[in-house]
Amino acid sequence: MPTKTQLHLAKVFLKIFLRDRQSIFFSLFFPVIFMSVFSFANNGSQDPITIGVVDNSSNTLSQGFIESLNANPVFDVSLDNETALRSRLIEGDMTLVLILPDEFVEQAGGTELNLIVDAAQVQQLGLIVPLLEQTLISIEREFRNIEPMFSLAIEDVEARSQRYLDFLLPGLLAFTLMQLSIAGSGFNIEEYRRKGILKRLFVTPIKPKDFITSIVIARLVICLIQMSVLMAIAVFFLEVSIVGNFISLYLLIILGTVIFLCLGFCLGSIAKTQQAVMAVGNIVIFPQIFLSGVFYPIESMPALIQPIARVLPLSFIATGLREIANSGATLLEIIPSLIGIAVWFVIGFLLATRLFVWKEVAN
Amino acid sequence: MSIIEVKNLAKKYPLPDDSSKTFYAVAGISFSIEAGEIYGILGPNGAGKTTTLEMLEGLIDIDEGSAFIDGIDVGSNPFEVKEIIGVQLQSNEYFDNLSLIELLTLFATLYDRSIDAINLLEKVQLVEKAQAKPANLSGGQKQRFSIACALANNPKVLFLDEPTTGLDPQAKRNLWDLVLQLNSNGMTVVLTTHNMEEAESLCQRIAIMDHGNVVAEDTPQNLILTHAPEPPMAPLHGNIEDVFLALTGHGLRD
Repeated sequence: MPTKTQLHLAKVFLKIFLRDRQSIFFSLFFPVIFMSVFSFANNGSQDPITIGVVDNSSNTLSQGFIESLNANPVFDVSLDNETALRSRLIEGDMTLVLILPDEFVEQAGGTELNLIVDAAQVQQLGLIVPLLEQTLISIEREFRNIEPMFSLAIEDVEARSQRYLDFLLPGLLAFTLMQLSIAGSGFNIEEYRRKGILKRLFVTPIKPKDFITSIVIARLVICLIQMSVLMAIAVFFLEVSIVGNFISLYLLIILGTVIFLCLGFCLGSIAKTQQAVMAVGNIVIFPQIFLSGVFYPIESMPALIQPIARVLPLSFIATGLREIANSGATLLEIIPSLIGIAVWFVIGFLLATRLFVWKEVAN
Repeated sequence: MSIIEVKNLAKKYPLPDDSSKTFYAVAGISFSIEAGEIYGILGPNGAGKTTTLEMLEGLIDIDEGSAFIDGIDVGSNPFEVKEIIGVQLQSNEYFDNLSLIELLTLFATLYDRSIDAINLLEKVQLVEKAQAKPANLSGGQKQRFSIACALANNPKVLFLDEPTTGLDPQAKRNLWDLVLQLNSNGMTVVLTTHNMEEAESLCQRIAIMDHGNVVAEDTPQNLILTHAPEPPMAPLHGNIEDVFLALTGHGLRD
């Protein structure tokens, strides 16, 4: 149980944060603006995805197939020969090129369609390919005249089909949580040391444990409130859907906050000057923003980077939050993420307690 | 009865340009301070004044020797010592966005006490600034406020590190009055200063430090008697004509 002193100090840290209107504004500003931009971009009639189709068989089946593809508002189909379409793909006119084989007929082994993509567009691809597959399936079903029995299953797929915002929200939550936590421990400790506030505190009988506990309590409260505000804005104003259990979500948020607070304490202990804190802080923060699947799925990254990306602390938290929020996963179902989070918790805690030398920090 | 007992106290640091060698910031000093005294530590910059205070305050480790405050060993029980001392550091920045009242309440809580913050602000003449932020105080007000913070635990010993550096004469006198008033109620005060006038008029005893050693310690009066240079010879009167007249007489010639 936190002591009276710890609670009072936590309240003081909270008060300091609440009176710092600027940092509250900016910690909410970025994720909200980001989500809003994507919500407007998505709400209008969505730009169709331009795909080129090379029809090598030109039979009734392939023509019918192209017609159905054309009928789907998601796609803007242009027919041409392979060379012309390839060059348009390279120019960036086209997202992908679909090649229908010579023998485009119903056959037992299934027909293989060749998909040519531009690797530079790799991040969009992660979102498009499932969409394309989904459309192919529905086209196929229409073609084979499969009965409404299946239309139920298709409905199910549709209901869970993700908007980008649904995908984005858990990532942004994890990202904001990381920023708030690292700022709360690492950046603040450096500031308190630079100003001599830590030294002043250390001539009172306060124990390092009390100081750290109160920072952790204050930041947990701040993170839980900020995350709730973000989720409320996303759900009520931007119609983002969160299907999972909120208790599981909050549990992950708490764990994530503690991990990044620990890493922040390490940061505040290693880096002795303001510049150093900023530099080391950026080394910790920036790669994670781009590699941890905050803005686009890790699966769409180059295969070489994926294994590294997957073991970053932010990845585990973002992935865990996403599985709960988007797919309604239970804690049992996200055990791999939980294990990753537990490992990072142990690493962070050990490092922080090893590196955080109160006397050095205070001087 | 002495409330502070310092014996052979030393602090050493590795030399910046040759870490295999050490130099002593404080080189084994001894002194004792009586309860109810105002004790001044004087010395040029780098003499070891602040290092000595910081060892007594439990801020930095004692490398050699010992220090006892009110019978408590600072080296082994720093947290107990911190309960009974009040400290004003050279830098006095506080958390942003907190008012004086909130800061004083915070400091009292760190000692697990509750205080009448307004009463404390009255003592240092800052009541009308109760809701102000420290950043908006003048230099003298800031110093008085940091003394108020140091009083949050009603300490037995008050440590002041260069309390009047950078203050204008009015603020300086005002702070002296405050220190004298606290002392008249029985509080022991230990202060460092560059200001000779301050040492002479405020302190009952003075230690002069140089190169980590105490080079002299006594009452200001005795120090002046022992160490002040001889008064200069009375200046000569008259001129060479007087000499001439003295040698040759005043009688008129011719």
